[in-house]
Amino acid sequence: MAQPAGERLLKLSRSVKRAMSWQTINRNLPVMDPKAPPVLTEAVREKIRGFFPRYETKRAVLLPALHIVQDALGHISWKAMAEIAALLEIQPSDVIDTISFYTHFWTHSKGKKVIVACRSVSCEVMGGVAVLEELKKRLGIDEHETTADGAYSLVTEECLAGCDHAPCVIINEKLHKRVRAEDVVKLLADHANARLEIPRSDLFDAPAKTAADPASQNSQAEDLVGTTSDVREMRES
Amino acid sequence: MPKITIDNKEIECRAGVPVLQAALEAGWDVPHYCYHPGLSIVASCRLCLMEMMMPNPKTQELSWSPKLVPSCQTPVKDGLICRFGSDTVKHNQRVCMEFFLLNHPLDCPVCDQAGECYLQDYSYKFGNPTSRMVDQKLKNPKKDIGPRTLLYQDRCVMCSRCVRVTDEVSGTFELGIVNRGSRCEIDAFPGKPLDNPLQGNVVDVCPVGAMLDKDFLFKRRVWELRSTSSVCPKCATGCAIHVDHADNKVYRLKPRFNPKVNTWWMCDEGRFGFKYVHDKKRIVKPIVRRGMDHESPDWADVPDIVRFRFSELVKRDGAAKVAAVLSPFLSCEEAWLLCKFIRSLAPTAALVTGLIPYSGEDRKFPIGSNNGTTKFTILKEKCPNRRGIETILKAFGGTTLTFDEFCKKATTGEFSAAWITGGYPEPWVEKETAKIAEKIEFLVVQDIFENELCTGAGMIFPSCGWAEREGSFMNAAGVLQSFERAIAPPDGAKQDGQYLYDIAGYSGLYRATRIRELMSAEVPAMKELYVPPEMPAHAH
Amino acid sequence: MANFEPILLRNRGVTGSTSLKVYESRGGYRAVRKALKMTPDEVVEEVKKANLRGRGGAGFPAGMKWSFLPKDRTRTLLCVNADESEPPTFCNRVLMETDPHQLIEGTIIAAYATKSQIAYIYMRVEFHEQFHIVQRAIDEAYAAGYLGTKIFGTDYSLECYVHRGAGAYVCGEETGLIESLEGKRGWPRIKPPFPAVEGLFRRPTVVNNVETLSCVPHIIERGAAWFTGIGPPHSTGPKLFCISGPVKKPGCYESPMTISVRDLLEREDMGGGMLPGKRAKAVLPGGASMGIISANEFDMKMDFEDPRKFGLLGLGTAAAVVIDDSIDMRVVLRNMARFYGTESCGQCTQCREGTAWMHKMATRIAMGAGRVEDLDVMLQTARNMGMMPGLSICGLPDGATYPIETIIKKFRGELESAIRAQPAGRAKRVLSVLN
Ligand SMILES: Cc1cc2nc3c(=O)[nH]c(=O)nc-3n(C[C@H](O)[C@H](O)[C@H](O)COP(=O)(O)O)c2cc1C
Ligand code: SF4
Ligand code: SF4
Ligand code: FES
Ligand code: FES
Repeated sequence: MAQPAGERLLKLSRSVKRAMSWQTINRNLPVMDPKAPPVLTEAVREKIRGFFPRYETKRAVLLPALHIVQDALGHISWKAMAEIAALLEIQPSDVIDTISFYTHFWTHSKGKKVIVACRSVSCEVMGGVAVLEELKKRLGIDEHETTADGAYSLVTEECLAGCDHAPCVIINEKLHKRVRAEDVVKLLADHANARLEIPRSDLFDAPAKTAADPASQNSQAEDLVGTTSDVREMRES
Repeated sequence: MPKITIDNKEIECRAGVPVLQAALEAGWDVPHYCYHPGLSIVASCRLCLMEMMMPNPKTQELSWSPKLVPSCQTPVKDGLICRFGSDTVKHNQRVCMEFFLLNHPLDCPVCDQAGECYLQDYSYKFGNPTSRMVDQKLKNPKKDIGPRTLLYQDRCVMCSRCVRVTDEVSGTFELGIVNRGSRCEIDAFPGKPLDNPLQGNVVDVCPVGAMLDKDFLFKRRVWELRSTSSVCPKCATGCAIHVDHADNKVYRLKPRFNPKVNTWWMCDEGRFGFKYVHDKKRIVKPIVRRGMDHESPDWADVPDIVRFRFSELVKRDGAAKVAAVLSPFLSCEEAWLLCKFIRSLAPTAALVTGLIPYSGEDRKFPIGSNNGTTKFTILKEKCPNRRGIETILKAFGGTTLTFDEFCKKATTGEFSAAWITGGYPEPWVEKETAKIAEKIEFLVVQDIFENELCTGAGMIFPSCGWAEREGSFMNAAGVLQSFERAIAPPDGAKQDGQYLYDIAGYSGLYRATRIRELMSAEVPAMKELYVPPEMPAHAH
Repeated sequence: MANFEPILLRNRGVTGSTSLKVYESRGGYRAVRKALKMTPDEVVEEVKKANLRGRGGAGFPAGMKWSFLPKDRTRTLLCVNADESEPPTFCNRVLMETDPHQLIEGTIIAAYATKSQIAYIYMRVEFHEQFHIVQRAIDEAYAAGYLGTKIFGTDYSLECYVHRGAGAYVCGEETGLIESLEGKRGWPRIKPPFPAVEGLFRRPTVVNNVETLSCVPHIIERGAAWFTGIGPPHSTGPKLFCISGPVKKPGCYESPMTISVRDLLEREDMGGGMLPGKRAKAVLPGGASMGIISANEFDMKMDFEDPRKFGLLGLGTAAAVVIDDSIDMRVVLRNMARFYGTESCGQCTQCREGTAWMHKMATRIAMGAGRVEDLDVMLQTARNMGMMPGLSICGLPDGATYPIETIIKKFRGELESAIRAQPAGRAKRVLSVLN
C-alpha cells in the first residue's frame, strides 16, 4: 500500500501548490444576477415553511431547508443560499457558514447519483481501498469529481455506521453492504442501485431531480468556496 | 470587591469580570486571542488556560485541579485561587504558539501588523524558537473582503473576533466562518462584502495581520509611528482615539478605550475622516485686507492690529455692535480665550454659537438595537464641541445668540465688527450667510479653508486641524475629554490656541492645561475633565 | 452466562418488529403507561436507582443528568442523540432499524420524567433507511395517540420530531448537536452553562443516546433492582456490543458488561472467531476514540472501568474492530489521524491544528516517507492536545489522542521497522518536494 505513494504525493503537491498560490478572492462582486428568476419554487418554499412550527427559531429550520433544497436542485447554489436566507430571515453569510461546515451539502452541482464510499477503519480493514480504487477506475474519475456525463459523483466519507457490513458504499440513499472490488461493475450497471426499497415517509421525500440551475457567473468565487468534502487537498488522503 | 489569588499574590479586582481580565488589570501578561472585553466569550483559542484550586468532591480539601480552565470564561469569585506561572500552564502556552505558527506563512517582513502583532509578541514571549513541522503548509488565499479591508487568510488565528464584531457590535453579520477543522476560514458572502459604518473595528480587534486596512496598507511600518491621545472631531459622540503619525503626517486613527463614550470602537467616518488635515488648499497664513490690497502680517504684529481695529469700532459704534461666532469645532479653551478677548474690549458684545452641522439621522449599533442594547451611536450632529461652546457662553452670560439669530441680525446691519470662526472639514457657508460679510465693517474670519465670507473679511486667520491643536471637547452627552497635539501646523500657520492666547493678552507658550485651570475657575462645568482608565498594558 | 436473554434486541428477527402492532403484541408500550401513572420525579428516581450510565460514550448516569434540570423550569427539551458517527459503531442503527418503537417509548418516558414538551431525534443523514423506519414509527405513534397532545389520555403532551444531520461527527457531541439543531455550524459550546441549565434555544435540555433511552422502558417495567442485577455494580444493565472486521460473524450483540474482548471476538454467539486464514493483531475495542489493545490484552473486560487499566480512555461505544496481521499499522495510524483531522470542528487551537498536523504526519508515514522522529513528534502532539483535561471545548481531541498514543506505544516496534525498511533517503526526498 505504501509503494507508489511517493510519486502520487509529488504530483499532488505540485498541483496543490499551483492551485492555491496567492489567489485573491473578491467578495465585493456578487456572483449571481439579481434579476434572474428565483431558483426555489413555491412548492419548495412551502415545504420549508412546513418546518417552522417545529422549532422556536426560524434559523433552526436551516438544516431541513438545506436538505429540501438540495433534494430539489441537486446542490445549493449561491442564489439558493440567498433565497433561503431571505426565507428564514437570516443573513446569507450565516447560510454559507452552516453549509460549509457539513460534508453533506454541496455548493456546486454533482452527478445524478452520488457515491459515498466509506474510508473509516472497519471498511479499510475489510478492503475498502480496493473498492474505492475500482470505483475510480470504472468511473474514470478521482475522489470528489463528477463523471463527464454527469451520472456519478464520487466522494469518500468517514464511517457510515454500517461497519458490520464493511466495506460500505452509499449511492444516494441506498446503502450497499459488503461491496467487493469485483462487484463494482455490476453495482454501477444496476439501474436501481440508488433506490431505497422500503416504504418512504413523506417528509424529506426527494422529488425527481430537476436540472441543476444555470451556472453562476463568478466561477472563480464558486470554485474557491467548497464544503469541507470538496476541498482539493482532501484528495491527498 | 472580590479578592482572588493569582500566583500566590492576592489581588483585589472588580466584581463580575473574568479572571483573565482581572489578571490583565493587575499587570499579568496572560496571552489571549479570542477574549475581548467588548465581545461575547467563546473561549476557543485555549491560550489563556490556567490552573485553579478546586475542592475535592469527596473530602472538600482544596487542591490544584487536574483540569486546565480558560481564565476568560471563569468569573472572579471571592477566594478563588489560580496560577499562570506553573509548568503545565506555560507548557500549554508553548504548545498553542507552536500550533498557531504551523501553517503561518511567516511573511512578517511585509506584514502591516508587524510590530504590533500578538502572534509575534506571544511567539517571542511564550513560544518555541524552532518549528518541528516539516510537512507542507496549508496555503490559504487572500481575500478582498470589503471595499476598505483585505483579509490575509493565511495569517489568521481563527479567534473569531472579527465575526463577533460584525455580529455583536455592528449587527450587520457580513462575516462568517466557512469550512471546518484546519480549513476554517473567515469569509463573506460574495456580493455582501464587509461594508458597514463600523467595519474598521474588525481590523482593530484582529490580533494578527489577517485583517488589514486598505487605507493604511503598506504605508508605514508601525514602529515608526507615534501615537497621540486625541478625540475624534467628526461627530458629537467624540470617540476617544489615538492619532498615529510620523514625520508630521497623520497615518491612521485608532479607537482609544473610553468606557463613558465609545468603549472600544469608532466609526469609519471618523477613522478615515482625518484626510482634510493634509489638504493642500488650507489657509496657512494670517491675511490682512485693506480695500483691494492684502498682505500677510508678521504673527508678532497680529495682536496689535486686531486690538486696534476692534477698539476703534467699539469706540465709534459701541460695544453691542461687536459679535464673536464660536464654531463647535473650536476647543473649549480656544472658545474661552476668544470670548475673553472680545468681552474685554466690548463687554456687551454678542457671543454666538456657531453653525451646528447635521447630516442624516443618529445611527445606533448594533443595527436594530434599542436604548438598552445600543453599543455605539453615530450622531447626526457632525461636530465635536457644541455642548462645550454652549456651556462657556452660558457662563459668560450677556447677549448670546444662535447662529441663525446672528445671521438675521447681521443682515440688518446690527454688527459693525465680528469674529467668525469655522474649522469645518466641509464647506459650510451658504449663499445667504455669505451676504452678511457686506454688512459687517470689520470681519475676522478664522477657518481652515477659504470660504465665501473671506472676500469681505478684513482679516483672515488660518485655523488648524484638530490633530495640530490641543484642548478639550465636550461631547453631546456632556463628557469633557482632552486631546493632545499630534503634529505641527503647516509652515506659516500657528495653532489657533496660540494666537488667540497672544491676542487675548497672555504671553508665552499656549498650554491647554493652563487655560483649563483659568477657565474652570470661571466655568465650573469645565473642571471635570474625564480621563478614561488606561487599557491594561497587556490587554488588546 | 452463555445464553443471555436479549432485552434491547429482543425483537430482532421478529417479523414486522418495526410496526406498532407487533411491538405492542410483544409487551410494548406497557412501561410508558406505567410511567405515566407515576410522578415525573419517581421516574427519575427509578432510573437513578438503576444506575443507568449513558451509552453515548461518556458513561454519565442518565438519572443524575435528569435531576440537574433546574426545578423552576417551564419548558424543557429532550434531544435524542442518534448521530452515531464514531467508527466503527452501529448499535444505534441496529436499535432503530429493528425496534424503533422501543426508542420512542423510551423517549416518551424520558420526556415525561424531564417534563419536556418536545423531543428531537437528531439523526445522522446517512441513516436514510433508518430515518424512514423511525419516522413511520413516529407517525404510527401519533396516530395511536401515543404522541401529540394528551397522550395516552393523560394531560401530558409531547411532540416528537426527527431532525436530520448533515455529515459531521462533532454534531454527536451534545452541545454540537444543540448548535446544529439550532441551524448553526456544529461548534460545541463552552460549558458551563451545561445543557441541563441552558441548552437548545436557551432552554433546559437533556441529551441522551438512543441506546440509553432504549433501556428506560425496561427499567420502568421491571424495576431498578432487576436492572442493577445485570452486570457488575459499576456497569449495570444490558449493553450492545458491536464487532466488525475480519471475524466470522460481525454484528451487534447484547450482553451484560461482563464479557471480555476475547469473548466478543471468539464466542460462538458473538463474533465467532476470525475468518479463516486471518489472525487478530489488535482490536480497537471501544470505538476509535478509546484507543487500541494488542493481541495479548484481549482479556480486557468490556465495562466502564476496566479499559482504563489498559491505557484506554474508557468503554466508549463498546464497538470493537479487529485488525488482522495483514494490515500495516501505519495504515491504521493514518486512518485514525485522518478521521480526527477531517472531523475536528476547528474551534479550539489544539484540536484544529493538532489533528491536522497528525494527519499530515501519519499520511506521510503511511506513504512510506516517514521518519522515526515523526513518531515522537506525533506522540508529543497527541499529548499536547488531548491528554490533559480541559485543553479544549469538547472531548474530540481526547478521542484523537488515545488511538494515536496507544498505537504508537503498543506497536512502536512494527512502525519503526516499517519506517527503517523504506528506501534510504526517501523521506528526505519527499520532504524536499513538499517544501
Ligand atoms: C466528539 C464527540 C462525539 C460524540 N458523538 C456521539 C454520538 O455520535 N452519539 C452519541 O450518542 N454520543 C456521542 N457523544 C457523546 C455525547 O456528547 C453525550 O455524552 C451523549 O450524547 C450523552 O448521552 P448519554 O448520556 O445517553 O450517553 C460524542 C461526544 C464527543 C465528545
Ligand atoms: S481575521 Fe483576525 S480577528 Fe478574524 S478570526 Fe482571523 S485572526 Fe481573528
Ligand atoms: S475540541 Fe475540537 S472538535 Fe471539540 S470544540 Fe474544540 S475544535 Fe471543536
Ligand atoms: S467503518 Fe465503514 S461503515 Fe463504519
Ligand atoms: S480561550 Fe481564553 S482567551 Fe481564548
